[in-house]
Amino acid sequence: MFGENACSLIRELDRNRGSLPPYNNEILGEVEKEICHLIQQNEADDFEAHEDSRVGEAVDYTATIRTRHAIIQRNLRCLLAYHYNRLRCLRTMRWEFGSILPPDIKANLSHSETNWFSKYSSMLATYMRSIGDDGGVNLTIDLNPPKALYIEVKCLVDYGQYELSDGSLVLLKESNRYFLPRAECEDLIRQGVFQHIVN
Amino acid sequence: MDINIIENTENPQSDESEYEEIAHTAAEVLQLMEEAWLNEKFAPEILPHKYDIVECLLGQVSHVEENLSNVHNDDLRRSLHQMELDRLRYLVSSYLRLRLEKIERFVYFILKQEEERSQKGEENYLNDNELNFAKCYGQSLDQHFTDQLQFWPGNIPAEWKNQLIVPNIYSYVFMKAKNEIEGVMINHVNEEEEVVDLKTGSQILISYNNVGHLIRNNQSCLI
Repeated sequence: MFGENACSLIRELDRNRGSLPPYNNEILGEVEKEICHLIQQNEADDFEAHEDSRVGEAVDYTATIRTRHAIIQRNLRCLLAYHYNRLRCLRTMRWEFGSILPPDIKANLSHSETNWFSKYSSMLATYMRSIGDDGGVNLTIDLNPPKALYIEVKCLVDYGQYELSDGSLVLLKESNRYFLPRAECEDLIRQGVFQHIVN
Repeated sequence: MDINIIENTENPQSDESEYEEIAHTAAEVLQLMEEAWLNEKFAPEILPHKYDIVECLLGQVSHVEENLSNVHNDDLRRSLHQMELDRLRYLVSSYLRLRLEKIERFVYFILKQEEERSQKGEENYLNDNELNFAKCYGQSLDQHFTDQLQFWPGNIPAEWKNQLIVPNIYSYVFMKAKNEIEGVMINHVNEEEEVVDLKTGSQILISYNNVGHLIRNNQSCLI
């Protein structure tokens, strides 16, 4: 049935809320083919109708053409919704992971989405640099209201040496616990190096 | 180090002109910032920017930070101030983040409104940097969608540009009146109108479209 593929794209989005499934080239191709096909048919019918009216035969094509048009519009809408929502998701990931995406997510993007992501990253960076007088504000840290200056974290991987902002070095080892300034940990928690231990 | 540095006044020079060039103490600035933050957080649409407060507060933050760097690490005062600084930084960045989120979500609508405003010679709601960001963001979306529709035979449709995502200004908000406000019109669904007078400090749950102007001209705030 017409429109079914487009609808399945939307269903796919709905199933994967908050995560980014692989770019669905296959179904998108189907939808695009369907749209092209319908447009061609409409043009053909339009031509026929003109011919008929010249000859004087009256076959009414309006209903078919309108129906096809409605399907085209619906498909278009689904396509755009699919792409838009993927971008929104990608945008959230920019805030979560920073300007470099983990490889498994990168693999799920289309070429043009990768382009968009780097464009978004650079405009966000430009904006953040422009706040305030001295060199801007990094908005991607301090995502949660601070409760305590130091937090307890558990290291999940053998990270090696890590330099704190005051210059001291810490050796991060797997399954060790650390008591570190919250601001230093935030990034590493998001990267999955640390786990925040909440008492 | 002066422990009361956050309480120090700044900008002692400035006259009480029509524009709000009144000197604020740091505590007042903080309060203004908190109010702006809450308003922005709860209002469905974007509000006029408060960059003067943001910049003032950021200036304070870096000032205190500078002072802190002279204090020894183990000093209790240091951790106390550091905590306060973190809170301030969260406040500012959360405020700016909220605005960015709104700008992104309603980008075409906001750009259109800003254009109308500058045509009418009204003050823009967005700061220049935000406006730049909004324009870039809008363009990048345009570009992305056009790229996706390359397959289209003939002209690429652009009707989607007329379907703007607009904020729902009919959503309900908790509001607190800052001074006496008389004659707030409340529009009901069935075309009836009701007039309410608000006393100073009174709180009300109300649809945003009725009170948006009160928030913008600073007569009341959202809570």
